[in-house]
Amino acid sequence: MKLHYTMLAAAFAATLAAPALAEFKPSKPVEMIVHTGPGGGADVLARFIAQVIEKENLAPVRFTVNNRDGGGGLRAMAYVVEKKGDNHAIAVFTGNWLTNPLTRAEAKVTVKDMTPVVRLVLEPAVIAVKSDAPFKTLKDFIDAAKKQPGALKQSGGSTTSRDNVVRQLLMRETGSNWAYISFPGGGERIAALLGGHVNMMVIEPQEAGEHIKAGNMRVIAQVADKRLAAFPNVPTIKEAGFDIPNVPQVRGVLMPPGVAPDVVAYYEGLFARLVKTPTWRKYLEEQQFEDGFQRSADLARFMDSFTSQMRDILNEAGAKVVR
Amino acid sequence: MSGASGRHRLANGDLWSGAALAALGGFVINEARQWEYMTVEGPGPGFFPLWYGIAMVLLSLVLVVSALRRSRPAAGHTGTDWPGIGRALLCWAAFTLSVLLLKWLGLILSLALLTLFIAKVMYGKPLKVALATAVGNVAGFYLVFHLALGVELPVGLLGF
Amino acid sequence: MDILLSLGQGFLVALEPINLFWCFVGVFLGTAVGVMPGLGPAATIAMLLPLTFQMPPTSALIMLAGIYYGAKYGGSTTAILLNVPGESASVVTCLDGYQMARKGRAGAALGIAAISSFVAGTVGVIGLMLLAPPLAKMALSFSSPEYFALMVLGLAMVVLLAGESMVKALLAMLVGLWIAGMGIDLFSDASRFTFGLSELLDGVDFVIVAIGVFALGEVLGNMERRGEGTLLPVPKGLRNLLPTMAELKACRFAFLNGSVIGFLIGVLPGAGSTIASFISYGVEKAVSKHPEKFGTGVPEGVAAPEGANNSETGGALVPLLTLGIPGSGTTAILLAAFVLWGLRPGPLMIQDNPQLFWGLVASMYVGNVMLLVLNLPLIPLFAQILKLREFVLYPIIFGISVVGVYAVSNSLFDCGLLAAFGLLGYLMQRLKFPSAPLILGLVLGDAMERALRQSLMMSQGDLSILVSRPIAAGMLIVAAVLLLMPLFRRANALRVKAIEENG
Repeated sequence: MKLHYTMLAAAFAATLAAPALAEFKPSKPVEMIVHTGPGGGADVLARFIAQVIEKENLAPVRFTVNNRDGGGGLRAMAYVVEKKGDNHAIAVFTGNWLTNPLTRAEAKVTVKDMTPVVRLVLEPAVIAVKSDAPFKTLKDFIDAAKKQPGALKQSGGSTTSRDNVVRQLLMRETGSNWAYISFPGGGERIAALLGGHVNMMVIEPQEAGEHIKAGNMRVIAQVADKRLAAFPNVPTIKEAGFDIPNVPQVRGVLMPPGVAPDVVAYYEGLFARLVKTPTWRKYLEEQQFEDGFQRSADLARFMDSFTSQMRDILNEAGAKVVR
Repeated sequence: MSGASGRHRLANGDLWSGAALAALGGFVINEARQWEYMTVEGPGPGFFPLWYGIAMVLLSLVLVVSALRRSRPAAGHTGTDWPGIGRALLCWAAFTLSVLLLKWLGLILSLALLTLFIAKVMYGKPLKVALATAVGNVAGFYLVFHLALGVELPVGLLGF
Repeated sequence: MDILLSLGQGFLVALEPINLFWCFVGVFLGTAVGVMPGLGPAATIAMLLPLTFQMPPTSALIMLAGIYYGAKYGGSTTAILLNVPGESASVVTCLDGYQMARKGRAGAALGIAAISSFVAGTVGVIGLMLLAPPLAKMALSFSSPEYFALMVLGLAMVVLLAGESMVKALLAMLVGLWIAGMGIDLFSDASRFTFGLSELLDGVDFVIVAIGVFALGEVLGNMERRGEGTLLPVPKGLRNLLPTMAELKACRFAFLNGSVIGFLIGVLPGAGSTIASFISYGVEKAVSKHPEKFGTGVPEGVAAPEGANNSETGGALVPLLTLGIPGSGTTAILLAAFVLWGLRPGPLMIQDNPQLFWGLVASMYVGNVMLLVLNLPLIPLFAQILKLREFVLYPIIFGISVVGVYAVSNSLFDCGLLAAFGLLGYLMQRLKFPSAPLILGLVLGDAMERALRQSLMMSQGDLSILVSRPIAAGMLIVAAVLLLMPLFRRANALRVKAIEENG
């Protein structure tokens, strides 16, 4: 009799556990939400991911890209939160998703309202000057900036972009000062440097490659934790003697709020397999990205520390931080 | 419509549009004053709006003043075509309503309703003609944009 | 000659059957998409990008470039027929193109747009072929002060776009500047005029305003004048649908003017085809013997902006292919495509990959011919749409407007904005405010503010940077002359009047 009860209990337990054990699998096309229009950085990455998943047969369904551009990324974020509990929606996020709500009162949601899945890549950068510039090292540049405060110029994106964060950190560390000129398009930033209208810029390594090869540009330091394969002789900022925290440009995957742990685990596993494929490794190498793979729990911690770091930097830079 | 009343009508319109634009200019200036005019790095976000706000106020005052000067010899009757304006505004309201309903009805249904309304009410066509127009119109849209060009159309609660 | 030899080899590449096929696919898709307002070349190229990974890069580039200039060809169709500007550069085409259609010359207007695009496209390719390296240097010497002067010059065109009242034209332009200023300020991250709506953080897309003000304003205005509004005359017979010799002759200078201005401005990474179309229209009107007829449907008013819009393609490829710097949204996506194929366009590309470069150049000649052949027979077909009765046509215009706006961003909020700008367009028409200056302010406002602030940051607040550089100073002087011209005319008219009264 006792045995009978135990068996019954075991059977009962088994039925309870069954749904948790039965692995989640997507049953219809998965929507990948990005905050840029077709051709933007996140869009290109998302389309590449979809292609790899299809080519390597990693998932039973197709992954489609949904461009929710506008609102400085906030529109895509609001849309992700609206999809609460949707097991077939994932979002490709960038560092902007963490930074932008800090200064924008219009933001109704933050990444804290979403479910972290994985971190995928860290994009390093390099500090470049025109090839005929007198600065051979970062120290040369900073010494010159100290001599004539405000006279040297850097071209870059918006004030909350990594370009400006690196500048703020360097200026604070060394007590120097140079101007920051915002340009909306990457092309205009490079044109300003090559035309000699600004003295320095922070640029993605693969973007700089061709200009270096043609002898128009020189790299004086790297914004990375360790030296990139393409620039073995250029020191990182730390190696150049400036002790500032590394500011990575991060990209990864989030999900709407309210999805079950087994669903998150499924996508976590999917991306863990994706980042091991040769196609992905080759992509990272070509784009000169660092492999930044992290699972959900680590990503949550990373997002917290990144956000508070950015908050400090923005406060110091005089931006109006609203949260 | 005599020349004098025509001029008066236009002057009246100038008066009101001038006043509205002056108010907009005032709003722009007021907002612009909340943003930094000059920062250590250069002109701030308030720099440009402040100047075009001022220009807007000045120019709209010119418009108001010239309207007042012209309308002094006022002719009693204004020849405004109010029924015509009513028609235009009614049509605009119908369009706006159809846009607001997109979220629930989707493009196909709300465009069909708008077409029906324009043909039946605005142009007084018989119901049969209006219905045929509506169906033909949305069928054309579906074929050209959805099937041929693959453009995403606003989808309603019913899934189309 | 070296270039001829290279070009010959380019033609060998471009005329390979497989490349001819992809070129045709590109221009065909481009035209189809270009006709549709809202969907521009950038979105189409991005959507088709994954397809090209399986293709050899030369064929892929030939197809994508075909989409690029094909879409520009198609953009004028709805502008001329329905007053719906399909893309930013077609706004100027509306001014005279739609008026020509109202006068029964829709076919002629479409024909002139196609021929002008063909001429300009060809001029653009020749420029790309012969002048790329020196022009790329010129583009680099352009900095913020020069861009500021260029924008001021563009805004000075308001004088030429004003109707009866200069005050109203200037006010419309200021409202355009205001709308352009909505959204996040790039320099300070402050959000301006967003009314707390996150949808407005990126500002208002130009297409929404243009479609609302032009197309919806026009329809609502016609609604008011019911009874007076009659069917637009569409003449029968192919001969009457195509431009006459006299019309073509009137456009001689406009073809050249549009091509050259469009190409030169296209080379500058920070400018774009909209400015080019406004400036070439302004130049055409300024040198015309009958400037007062502009805006009533003169063929030159179609030829100049359409030419500028199309030769901009060749110009925009100059910095991309010689420096690896994208000059516009579309070229930025082409750059992304290059990267995904494992190519990096840059100063060395023409030497490293001559087959690709010259194949592309040759295919652009071929593509332009294809476009002309493809488009001319379509004109009579398109012109038939004007035979529709108003109660059929107007709902179609409403529908196209909504679909066009929705295609830009998939946002219903934007469709609501469209309705608001439709009302604005109607009110402006009623109150006799010209709409082109509004668009001018909207297009140039942002770029002008940016260039001004960048310049002053570069000079640490010293205003003299704006006038001390020769190119910038030259453009500012031309702008000043343009702005003061009406005052001179007025003074002259007063003087004549005074003399008459005295005498």
